[in-house]
Amino acid sequence: MADPGSGAPHAPAATGRGFGRLLVAVYGLFALAATSRSVVQLATRFDEAPLAYLLSAFAAIVYIVATVSLARGSVTSRRLATVAISIELAGVLIVGAASVLFPDAFPRATVWTGFGSGYLLVPLVLPFVGLWWLRHTR
Amino acid sequence: MTGTYATANTVVALFLAAWTLISAAANRPRGVALLASGLVLEVLLLGFAIGGLVQMAGSDRDLARAEFVMYLVGALAIPPAAFVWAWGERSRAGTAVIALAFLITPVMILRVQQVWAGSVG
Repeated sequence: MADPGSGAPHAPAATGRGFGRLLVAVYGLFALAATSRSVVQLATRFDEAPLAYLLSAFAAIVYIVATVSLARGSVTSRRLATVAISIELAGVLIVGAASVLFPDAFPRATVWTGFGSGYLLVPLVLPFVGLWWLRHTR
Repeated sequence: MTGTYATANTVVALFLAAWTLISAAANRPRGVALLASGLVLEVLLLGFAIGGLVQMAGSDRDLARAEFVMYLVGALAIPPAAFVWAWGERSRAGTAVIALAFLITPVMILRVQQVWAGSVG
């Protein structure tokens, strides 16, 4: 993994390079999915399931922040990415558990329902990979 | 929306995804062939989107139109976005980004078809 471009030993490695390029792409995909989902839900049928739809919107914002901050990879945005991904991890665990324990409270699915089972459980794995990547590139 | 044309798009996208994944795994350098294949898929998807919009305009049944248009536009936007994001990365990760876009395309087509069939709530 010799990278001729990384000459400065003290500068943090960019989180948007190498494997990070792929990670940001996956985050971007979820930002897109969650955003479009919540825009349609909030605009057309908010009354049906306000909690689920607000959670979708919240997830969308978290994914957008994580995507942009991982792509930028500066010192500040690394911190921002760590916060966003930690919230993402908490979100998928709490919403995932709540949707299993109290299915009646989630009449409509969010990205995090059933730990992201509607998305091949990628939402559950993604924050772990994200936090690992932030540590790895430190 | 469920015709041969959609199936052709899906098959082409899956084939390209497999080929791109193999390239990434073998750590082959990216070339013009990948760019050209992305262009071919994009032209196919453009036809799919136009066909979809024409069919939607000609239909007066109850349809989740906002979702339908969103998935069509999403399917169209993802490959170019992936190429723009991946092209600066010369390692295999860049190739993998493009493979991901090709892999997502059949899912987007499937979602378009599901919305068209009225099974998306």
